[in-house]
Amino acid sequence: MLSFLARRCVALVATLLGAALVIFVALEVLPGDPAAVTLGLNAAPEALAALRLEMGLDKPAPVRFLAWISGILTGDLGLSYTYRVPVAQLIGERMAVTLPLALAAIILATSIGVPLGLLAAANHNRPTDAAVMIFAQLGLAVPNFWFGLLLVLLFAIGLGWFPAGGFPGWQAGPAAAVKALLLPAFALALPQAAILARVTRSSMLDTLQEDFVRTARAKGLAEPVTVVRHALRNALIPVVTIMGLQFSVLIAGAIIIENVFALPGLGRLVFQSITQHDLIVVKDLVMLFAGLAILVNFAVELVYGLIDPRLREAS
Amino acid sequence: MTRAGASAPVPAKRWWTGPSFLIGFALTGVIVAGALLSYVWTPYPPTQMMILNRLKPPSATNWFGTDQFGRDVFSMIMVGARNSLAVGLGAVGFGLVLGTTLGLLAAIRRDGFLDNLIMRTADFTHAFPAVLTAIMITAIAGPGMLNAIVAIGILNLPYFARLARGVAIQVWTRDYIQAARAAGLDNVQISVRHVLPNVAGVIVVQATIQFALAILAEAGLSYLGLGTQPPNPSWGRMLNEAQTFMAVQPWLAIFPGAAIAIAVLGFNLLGDGLRDAIDPRLRRSR
Repeated sequence: MLSFLARRCVALVATLLGAALVIFVALEVLPGDPAAVTLGLNAAPEALAALRLEMGLDKPAPVRFLAWISGILTGDLGLSYTYRVPVAQLIGERMAVTLPLALAAIILATSIGVPLGLLAAANHNRPTDAAVMIFAQLGLAVPNFWFGLLLVLLFAIGLGWFPAGGFPGWQAGPAAAVKALLLPAFALALPQAAILARVTRSSMLDTLQEDFVRTARAKGLAEPVTVVRHALRNALIPVVTIMGLQFSVLIAGAIIIENVFALPGLGRLVFQSITQHDLIVVKDLVMLFAGLAILVNFAVELVYGLIDPRLREAS
Repeated sequence: MTRAGASAPVPAKRWWTGPSFLIGFALTGVIVAGALLSYVWTPYPPTQMMILNRLKPPSATNWFGTDQFGRDVFSMIMVGARNSLAVGLGAVGFGLVLGTTLGLLAAIRRDGFLDNLIMRTADFTHAFPAVLTAIMITAIAGPGMLNAIVAIGILNLPYFARLARGVAIQVWTRDYIQAARAAGLDNVQISVRHVLPNVAGVIVVQATIQFALAILAEAGLSYLGLGTQPPNPSWGRMLNEAQTFMAVQPWLAIFPGAAIAIAVLGFNLLGDGLRDAIDPRLRRSR
């Protein structure tokens, strides 16, 4: 067990460092002069020189890379060129929108997708099953930003129940903030719910054919007890894995959805930083997103290895 | 000759008559036909602005209405289909050719240096959300269709590499590979002549499904302004522009979104139907 953990940790650190290196090379080495990218074509030479000094571009690339890594580890992510505030502070403020949004989307997707998948499996090859599978196909095909627009059209413009966009901030009270996040969370949750419904159904159908389920039935256990106590627990293992693996898809979705609903979150920040050529913020945010996706994958693999010893040996 | 009651082979249902395949084929047919037709005919030139005719609802003269510049939405959707399919073809082609080649190379010596290097790189690429890759590329090279193709193509790479490797590893254990080796063929020749034909089927199925994902990704990037650039119509950007006028003219937000959903649904169902044909064990309906 310890060697499994040690090997996974080494792989995690290597992947994180690899990601950092790719991001650094892509955004600081390949553009040639990041200061020129930030300031644009018509920048005054003095301004360029000052920014180069501020970004530490007078130092060699390996030194800058190490300085960036040590900055990440100590929480010093540099100063945003456009906002003139520390990037760490910007990320902290925007996180207060993105984190609740992502969490709400995961909760919604799970509470819609998993019961639907179970319902389909319990009614295998009946109309309910077909209806759930049609929902899942549509959920995968409908772009979540279009679904978001349709929700705005119906619930904000049509019925006036929710705001069409924007975020009042948590200081305006939790009710107003939650109200502003609900439609975007639904839009973000739709494809996830569709995937979870398909995976839960398929996993449950597999588990129901296992020997231990037949044994439980042969013992005379009632069907609901067999399904809930014996089959469900086993069927949920792949569901948890998929939820973890879908995390990077959720992040990508959040970048678009935050733009649809004009939410001042991390996704909108990264997009704005690109249009403003604020490479310092882009670099830190891309690293944050990639790092989060890598960490979640690592956690899922670890939990999976803990639950199923066969996987521990296999890796 | 079969005896009654004996295990006579069940006649296989023709896969091309399955509902998934038929619906998928019809939906993708509509999109592909619209895209091809747009090369020779559209109701109006898609970039022609008629300010006096702006924001008109659907009618006999403008089937899907007109946008804020008076452009015909139906014509724009037809040309948008062409751009979506072009990005899909480019991105999936890029991922398929490069990914399959890498997967086949990795399978030659399982757990060897090359295998580990390729597979760890694939894992790493997989952890990177596609939008982030596109964002990085755009931050350096600027937005555009070609950059979108590269970004979505990179996202496709690990899928094809893993799949090709997985199937190829099984093929390498077969007797005819030993025979080919005895006949003096080297690893690359065996990969091309004997492994690739066995991998091709699953790769084609995966390509159909990846095509659907590529169309979705392109629409997302275009919505953000990072994909196909004006004046070239694209479904994603049409949705972005529609948002401003949605309260007054809701159909502007409905038709381009429906076009994306139809294309994605079509390719997904087509992929499901083809998968049933190639490997009936994977049939999801069970």
